[in-house]
Amino acid sequence: MGQDAEQLYAERMRRYTTAMRNEKPDRVPIRPFVAEFTAKYAGYTVQEVTHDYQKAFDAVRKCAADFDWDAVVGNMVYVWTGLTEAIGLKYYAVPGQDIPAQTGFQYREPPENEAFMKADEYDQLIADPTGFLFNVWLPRVSRDVQPPGEPSTYRSNLSFLKGGMAMLQYFSDFGVQAARLRQESGTVSAISGILKAPLDILGDKLRGYMGLTMDVFEQPDKVLAACESLMPHLCHIALSGADPDKNVPITIWMHRGGVPFVSHETFDRIYWPTLKPIIEEIWSHGHQVLFYAEGDWTPHLRSFAELPEGSIVYHVDRADIFETHRAIGERFCLSGGIPNFLLSYGTPDQVRECCKKVIDGVARDGGYVLDASAIMQNDTSAENLRALTDFAREYGVY
Amino acid sequence: MEATTEPGPEPGVCIPWEEKLKELPPIQGDAELAERVWRDVDFLAHMCIWHCLLSF
Repeated sequence: MGQDAEQLYAERMRRYTTAMRNEKPDRVPIRPFVAEFTAKYAGYTVQEVTHDYQKAFDAVRKCAADFDWDAVVGNMVYVWTGLTEAIGLKYYAVPGQDIPAQTGFQYREPPENEAFMKADEYDQLIADPTGFLFNVWLPRVSRDVQPPGEPSTYRSNLSFLKGGMAMLQYFSDFGVQAARLRQESGTVSAISGILKAPLDILGDKLRGYMGLTMDVFEQPDKVLAACESLMPHLCHIALSGADPDKNVPITIWMHRGGVPFVSHETFDRIYWPTLKPIIEEIWSHGHQVLFYAEGDWTPHLRSFAELPEGSIVYHVDRADIFETHRAIGERFCLSGGIPNFLLSYGTPDQVRECCKKVIDGVARDGGYVLDASAIMQNDTSAENLRALTDFAREYGVY
Repeated sequence: MEATTEPGPEPGVCIPWEEKLKELPPIQGDAELAERVWRDVDFLAHMCIWHCLLSF
């Protein structure tokens, strides 16, 4: 199958990248972000694919081969809890250990008074973000890492060694997974590289959402300065993981930086001015960014439209995909928009009807990649996903 | 991309080469090689901590 798979891969890559450049390919590409769904389909528990990433890779390859999709993520479960346990990270609930074996891993945000960064520590973060992460943040988020000044311990030393080695192994094996997807089923690895907005990461992992919402009122200048100090590091990490061939996009996972989680003023004053230059910088290097716009970011479409044409692919989750298409479809490719509840609890006919409506409404001139609204977990129906795939392959031909 | 607030070591750097260089005797061989390898391995530590924050 080697030659066939290579030819298939080339066709799919052309299809996928043509759509992402907001042009018209031979047919609508199918790129489902399947996470814990893969475990259910391949016969693994959620614990198995979360804790043993080789099983996660295996499950993805099985889905890719059986469904014949154009592109997938090598492991959309992504958080390998073997690694997070090696570092001793406190903030994950691990399937099979802390929560039932068939429940997806959970991120546990600490209460406001136990935030991983305190309200009076902005100056430390601003002065040296990397030093702050090593010296202050990591000892707080890890059960094992000792802060500077405290006696070193065996567990502390091991957490660095095991965590670093495990991360290197995991990332290296992602390369092997991409090669196997290409060789075995001609499937494209859909994304490469990670980005988060400075304000989002400040809320997610440092101050916590509650703390951050107080800070934007009580010390907005510090919040802005902190975001500015994070910008070059986030940009650097995004570019360091980007596709060297500049085919597939870096993905930004957008969480709580928009209305209604923050005010319009906070978005306009802090979120967007500290994200937009990163996107422009990445684009200047020739890489697109996939805006994985979790929730509904409709109030900010006008801001996103300020970006260079074609610089992003905009993924629609809870927003109205037709309204989004009217607002920014001329400038950017869209993806998503097939509701997860429909894929989980609807009928195949309802799924086909929805796909038809979306393809008719937003994909007429190309510039659309078919996907669910959000990452598909183990409540997704295989029958419905099959209906989506088969329908789009036939009806999505231009 | 430069930060407007002039933070500590630049992206990709945990211990700057210039700081390490002060600890070394005069380099007798290929100084560029020593610097490049130091920077490359130092970058891995930067990547590791930032991926802890962003990815895990």
